[in-house]
Amino acid sequence: MINSILRFGLIFILLILLQILLFNNIQFSGYVNPYVYVMFILLLPIEIPSWLLLLLSFTTGLIMDFFSGSPGMHSSATVLAGFVRPYVLRVISPRDGYEPGSDPSMLTYGFIWFLTYTLLIVLVHHTALFYLEVFRFADFFRTMLRVLLSSLFSITFILLFEYYRRRK
Amino acid sequence: MKNLLNFLARYNNLIIFLILEGITVYLLATGNNYHNTRVVNGIRGLINGIEERINITRTYLSLREINENLAAENVALRNSIGRLVKKENSLFFSVSDSIYRQQYLYTSAEVINNSINRQKNFFTLNKGYLQGVRVDMAVTSGNGVAGVIVGCFENYSVAMSILNLDFKLSARIKSNGYFGSLSWDGRDYCHAILSEIPQHVSVNMGDTIETTGYSAIFPEGVMVGTVSDFEKIGGDFYKITISLITDFKKLHFVDIIGNMKKTEQLELEKLFQ
Repeated sequence: MINSILRFGLIFILLILLQILLFNNIQFSGYVNPYVYVMFILLLPIEIPSWLLLLLSFTTGLIMDFFSGSPGMHSSATVLAGFVRPYVLRVISPRDGYEPGSDPSMLTYGFIWFLTYTLLIVLVHHTALFYLEVFRFADFFRTMLRVLLSSLFSITFILLFEYYRRRK
Repeated sequence: MKNLLNFLARYNNLIIFLILEGITVYLLATGNNYHNTRVVNGIRGLINGIEERINITRTYLSLREINENLAAENVALRNSIGRLVKKENSLFFSVSDSIYRQQYLYTSAEVINNSINRQKNFFTLNKGYLQGVRVDMAVTSGNGVAGVIVGCFENYSVAMSILNLDFKLSARIKSNGYFGSLSWDGRDYCHAILSEIPQHVSVNMGDTIETTGYSAIFPEGVMVGTVSDFEKIGGDFYKITISLITDFKKLHFVDIIGNMKKTEQLELEKLFQ
């Protein structure tokens, strides 16, 4: 128990630092802003109580908000992502269900499963985030392009990290 | 009572979700006051400390370029001083002038955090109200417009950059004086849009765009950029694309400009509104 709290704490700090120090500084046209810190919400254990999941999502978003000076934007998107995660897990559950006490990882459930899982949640998160950022429906399709391109990059990075984690 | 408890237990998920989303929407809605709230202030202070550390490293890497820019600016300033001295010695301006008072105060600051890839970009400066910075002061970089101060802490302040969908600036074409409204369309960090210029005005590629000074924030004649493209849209106006003179990707040293006669102007204007 203590061990896993420590482990997730470490992942959390690592992801936040990566996001702030590295990914927030990627200024590759206005269209690509990867937000990899969502990975924290993805990695939490499958059986985590939903209230804890929501609170952790909220905290993650709030910290990101403080660091990027955008009140409520990130937290709103992460809380939404935390809210849909149990439903996503239910929809894409493998035929014989989840193993008790397991983490949603590529190692346990395979690449395709992890890709679908990441794709769905990152898309929900990024859609909410980018539309909240613009806060208007003018340039609807341009914002959508930003969502899609950024999601593509976020998902790529998340898969890379997950692959690295698996090898360890 | 039992039903109520059942209901709560059944939907606790949804309820927590709605409460948390409620909090975030509240934060979103009170957006601009956010900078002034005390809780956030404390945390921002801490974060600014970290950002300043990072910035020191970053500055060190581009020292050569910064030196070159400073040297160039020194030359320009020396030239303008030369011109002023000559003016004072000439016959017409040798009167000691008691009416003329300095209108704008300049102070320099360093950018310690900056973004260009969001739709609402802000940058943080290392001077705050203890150093005399106030909300609504203008920020320029070298010779171009950079932004407007929107929040002040003790030793730090936050400025809204041109690259912000909420940024509006009154600007004019230098050659003929027609003015319009300048804003950013959120597309890329090199270009902004000047609108409300009527179609009978002649616009040329490369025309200089400068500030008007109507808003009492920017002094008159600060350069914004040059015309890089223009097209006639719908009604009677041009949509002029401007390539900005300020390079926001390497914003480092900026000047903060305070207008000492601002309250006077605003109070006078208020009387007639």
